[in-house]
Amino acid sequence: MELESNYEIALAADFIRSRNFTRVALQFPDELLKDATRVVKALRDRLESPSESGSVGSGDGKEVGLFVMADTTYGSCCVDEVGASHINADCVVHYGHTCLSPTSNLPAFFVFGKAPISISNCAENLSTYALTQGKHIMVLFGLEYSHAIEMIKEPLMLESSKLSGSTSNLEFHFAEVMCSVMNPSKDCTTSNVYLGSVGSFTANDFGKATGTRYSIGGLVWNLPEGHRMEDYLLVWIGADNSAFANVVLTFNGCDIVRYDAVDNRLVTDLSQQRRILKRRYYLVEKAKDSNIVGLLVGTLGVAGYLHMIRQMKELITAAGKKAYTLVMGRPNPAKLANFPECDVFIYVSCAQTALLDSKEFLAPVITPFEAMLAFNRGSQWTGAYVMEFRDLISSSPVEVRNQSEEARFSFLQGGYVEDFDLKETEDAKEDEDGALALAYATEKALQVRDKHPNSLIKGTAKSGAEFFAARSYHGLEMHSNDSSPEPYLIGRAGKASGYEGEKGKENF
Amino acid sequence: MDFNRICLPLWVKFTVEELRRIMDYKHNIRNMSVIAHVDHGKSTLTDSLVAAAGIIAQEVAGDVRMTDTRQDEAERGITIKSTGISLYYEMSDESLKNYRGERQGNEYLINLIDSPGHVDFSSEVTAALRITDGALVVVDCVEGVCVQTETVLRQALGERIRPVLTVNKMDRCFLELQVDGEEAYQTFSRVIENANVIMATYEDPLLGDVQVYPEKGTVAFSAGLHGWAFTLTNFAKMYASKFGVDESKMMERLWGENFFDPSTRKWTTKNTGAPNCKRGFVQFCYEPIKQIINTCMNDQKDKLWPMLQKLGVTMKSDEKDLMGKALMKRVMQTWLPASTALLEMMIFHLPSPSTAQKYRVENLYEGPLDDIYATAIRNCDPEGPLMLYVSKMIPASDKGRFFAFGRVFSGKVSTGLKVRIMGPNYVPGEKKDLYVKSVQRTVIWMGKRQETVEDVPCGNTVAMVGLDQFITKNATLTNEKESDAHPIRAMKFSVSPVVRVAVQCKVASDLPKLVEGLKRLAKSDPMVVCSIEESGEHIIAGAGELHLEICLKDLQDDFMGGAEIVKSDPVVSFRETVLEKSCRTVMSKSPNKHNRLYMEARPLEEGLAEAIDDGRVGPRDDPKARSKILSEEFGWDKDLAKKIWCFGPETTGPNMVVDMCKGVQYLNEIKDSVVAGFQWASKEGALAEENMRGICFEVCDVVLHADAIHRGGGQVIPTARRVIYASQLTAKPRLLEPVYLVEIQAPEQALGGIYSVLNQKRGHVFEEMQRPGTPLYNIKAYLPVVESFGFSGTLRAATSGQAFPQCVFDHWDVMSADPLEAGSTAAQLVADIRKRKGLKEQMTPLSEFEDKL
Repeated sequence: MELESNYEIALAADFIRSRNFTRVALQFPDELLKDATRVVKALRDRLESPSESGSVGSGDGKEVGLFVMADTTYGSCCVDEVGASHINADCVVHYGHTCLSPTSNLPAFFVFGKAPISISNCAENLSTYALTQGKHIMVLFGLEYSHAIEMIKEPLMLESSKLSGSTSNLEFHFAEVMCSVMNPSKDCTTSNVYLGSVGSFTANDFGKATGTRYSIGGLVWNLPEGHRMEDYLLVWIGADNSAFANVVLTFNGCDIVRYDAVDNRLVTDLSQQRRILKRRYYLVEKAKDSNIVGLLVGTLGVAGYLHMIRQMKELITAAGKKAYTLVMGRPNPAKLANFPECDVFIYVSCAQTALLDSKEFLAPVITPFEAMLAFNRGSQWTGAYVMEFRDLISSSPVEVRNQSEEARFSFLQGGYVEDFDLKETEDAKEDEDGALALAYATEKALQVRDKHPNSLIKGTAKSGAEFFAARSYHGLEMHSNDSSPEPYLIGRAGKASGYEGEKGKENF
Repeated sequence: MDFNRICLPLWVKFTVEELRRIMDYKHNIRNMSVIAHVDHGKSTLTDSLVAAAGIIAQEVAGDVRMTDTRQDEAERGITIKSTGISLYYEMSDESLKNYRGERQGNEYLINLIDSPGHVDFSSEVTAALRITDGALVVVDCVEGVCVQTETVLRQALGERIRPVLTVNKMDRCFLELQVDGEEAYQTFSRVIENANVIMATYEDPLLGDVQVYPEKGTVAFSAGLHGWAFTLTNFAKMYASKFGVDESKMMERLWGENFFDPSTRKWTTKNTGAPNCKRGFVQFCYEPIKQIINTCMNDQKDKLWPMLQKLGVTMKSDEKDLMGKALMKRVMQTWLPASTALLEMMIFHLPSPSTAQKYRVENLYEGPLDDIYATAIRNCDPEGPLMLYVSKMIPASDKGRFFAFGRVFSGKVSTGLKVRIMGPNYVPGEKKDLYVKSVQRTVIWMGKRQETVEDVPCGNTVAMVGLDQFITKNATLTNEKESDAHPIRAMKFSVSPVVRVAVQCKVASDLPKLVEGLKRLAKSDPMVVCSIEESGEHIIAGAGELHLEICLKDLQDDFMGGAEIVKSDPVVSFRETVLEKSCRTVMSKSPNKHNRLYMEARPLEEGLAEAIDDGRVGPRDDPKARSKILSEEFGWDKDLAKKIWCFGPETTGPNMVVDMCKGVQYLNEIKDSVVAGFQWASKEGALAEENMRGICFEVCDVVLHADAIHRGGGQVIPTARRVIYASQLTAKPRLLEPVYLVEIQAPEQALGGIYSVLNQKRGHVFEEMQRPGTPLYNIKAYLPVVESFGFSGTLRAATSGQAFPQCVFDHWDVMSADPLEAGSTAAQLVADIRKRKGLKEQMTPLSEFEDKL
């Protein structure tokens, strides 16, 4: 049955049974929700039927509770641990596209699904393209195509071994899927259940620590010593989605082509993807000019998010800017525009939801890595790009030069600008308890305020309070000297879509 | 780069200590700039002054331009960066006997700055004017007063710089045009008259009469190329004793309506008609020179020597063998050396720092004019508090570092002194843009060497090492403890950067180098703007094509260490505007559908956008005053004028939102949100995300949800943006393109070529005038900036090098094509811009912005 194999019912049941889970949360993304009932039924059938492998059978009497979770608060690619803990679930089975971000509390089993792909066409396309290029090829793929990789590999391997003797030393390398089971406490690579070993077929033995290990979006691969990613041609099998965008950004030094399984063709023009990087660069420059930063909590599951938020707050404060932490689920323009005082937002979330094209937003939304570039004075945009914040925490990717006192150059304003906050805090520290403290305080208090604050000038206020003080509307005004009651007025009536007696109602 | 070159007679004997000694005589210093239209011979003339000071051999003066030190300057034959030279001149007691001003001995120090004449580099002129007190205006005697002469002259007078004039390229009259005396006089007189017309408009009681008069010695006549010049003083001295009158009387007779008949030996004020009766100037100045030149050119040496003897000119024996032009040059240089005439004119008629600062203090100092700093500047007091203005940053030979170059207005700056640096954004009493740092070294230039001096007193120019990190473009320096000092007023530049190119590095990993290079470029040139586009491209904006070219060259060679860069074709920024009132009131709903905004767009009245640009109308105005201007000049309703919500983009731009609603509840609550949406939308218009210009948005009606929570910023800001776009699209949106005013001077035979090039480039001529007394025509035309790339090259080719254009940004012009009509030129343009910016090539349709009930 197609459903059985697509949703890996047997494997999921084994996973549940072997670990004696009793309350299992099944997490579906919106587009797969329609299959949820059938999956539950199939899974239950499988769990109730006597185990084929003749397993321990100790918990046979216990009923396994299956719960369907949908409409995830944050990106549906992450394991929704908060949702699962509402029902006291002891494990999560995640269906559909995933970012394979590590979980913090619950073990999880991932079912990637099996997207259809024309294997012969794909292999043919790849080998023809590879022949025109003189480089080694590294094949990465969307997780939904992991089921077909083994089959694509074979013909290519043949092709390459045929050629290897004659013309070029063409080699195909394949990434492999990190794991399909994730345990929260341990490093997930130790408890790998490989979904079919898709190892590379070069002489170099995989897994031996002879080179650099790369991992992105659930894929891992090793490069032999002395090889750099730039030496490889990356081929991505899959759709043009956020996972692919991630790969493009992270390996922006490499040539990348994409095989589109739906259209059965190789896409070699990726200028649009390249633009993303430049656009992110612009956003970093823009963030440098900000005074008030909104910290959006975009995950409650990915391991280390609390650490990340703390780190971001420290970073922002150290840069002399004001940080506000906001928890709002998935951000959209209307939600964020409720905070017009923020000049920039940092979205702390899993790697694949972090990239928001903020064109429609009033203020740009950047990733923690970009925030580090922007707010660490003296750090430079080198082209290196880190998406997953566990990598960010472990290694500070940004080498901070000793802080020069030179005024900062703002590319947005096209000139040097003064981060006066920075200095003020320094100065304040110097004579915190000095005799001048009072003088400073009065000096600040007596500064002439603008008499006609008639607009929201972005980027001038240094804190939320200051921003609100500059607004023309300060809320209802109390007329304390006039105690007589206001006359009674009749308000509007009817529905919001068209109040009674409203202009234009007649077209209705 | 060698900036401040000191050229001294017998300069080897001249030590730093001696130079430093003269710098203390504040009455004997002259700080002056040389200003002129491009190609009127500033640099050549300056070189003859330098030659006289002895650094280059007399023979090559006029052939080698010592002030153009950059290779590209030499290749193009124009000056790009202003260059400073200090000259030393010792006056004789005889020549000083008529000097009435204060002086200390006979030694004079002249700090001279040669500035570029090309309009693209007028920021250099601005910087030069700030640190000088006088200006030598050089005008080509044939071409006359040109557009750039006028611009810089106005700029100079605005800074209270006293001018003297020299009518240059006299040699053209004698050799090229061969005009007779009377005709030449008329030409010179017209040139002087034209200059005086400009100067007369600046009446300044403190500066006094700034017009120039040959009979007062404030006009010189020079031939820079041949290294000779004279003022009427020279000739007056010669003839005074002969006629037995005093010099000043003689000078008056040598100019204007004074005629002399040698047969009767009588002066008259009218031409008597007698065959020998000639104008004084012609009789006693022009003709003798002409005679000498002709004699030399014809190699009539037998006649020449007695003539020279009569004039008291002695030639060296080896010079006597010269022939023709070389002989003529040598004779003229010996008889009427340019340096003597010009330097004496400067010393006599241009103010010393001590004199000039008395009246310039009002222009310079921002603070109260009675505080100790103003007083110190006024008195040019070396013992007073330090007041120093840094006018430019000069790249040092040490890559990446800069000298801060400026002028000391009071006090002394010394090596190791701790100074307070007040940047352009400094506000007294605040800490913004303020640093306290010590000067590592104070430097002056002597010849090609930089010499460290202990200190530099007021009235002089100075370069400082060690401050470049804290000075962005210009700054005011004072002593560390002078916390109540106000800064010296920032310079205003007369050109704006309208031409832009996108740059990127050839090798992606060079990006940090590029970023660093752009920062340095921005520092070295106050006119260049380095910014970034939404698409992440780095943009360099400059005043013109030539300016950009130079910037890119400097960027690549000097500031990036030769790392290769790729530049895009020049990009012009456009503006978006509307032609008519919106065809209907448009409405947009908020994301929650509970709020509705109704708006209309209409063009601002003609001239209003310009008034906003100039700051005559703006957000900071007193509402009453603003409503007066709007109602009287632009026909607004008085009440409506008070209902302007805001200007935009950047809260000061030439677009506005006006409240036209009547009796709407909660309207004041959403005002801030609408304003925020408007700032956003007016910065990125609906067509191609270019700035809007000249659009008035009228808020017609507003329906809001009764609960405040449902009409917050999140609901209203995006809605305001959408409704603004919808109203823009329904009001016949158009693109505006920038247009240059082009001035071209060329002889008649080149006119055909000029017209055909202009036609081909969508330009149109609106003025064509023949310069009286010359075969030259003066053409003024409008030329779209987009078409100006390669314009000067094409023009030069079409006129075999006879026409040289000067372009200045003039105004924004509506492009008549409809960008909403598929296939129109404007639609194509919009698509191109959107593509470049990385947007969807198709414009977002109106239906995306407008909602239906």
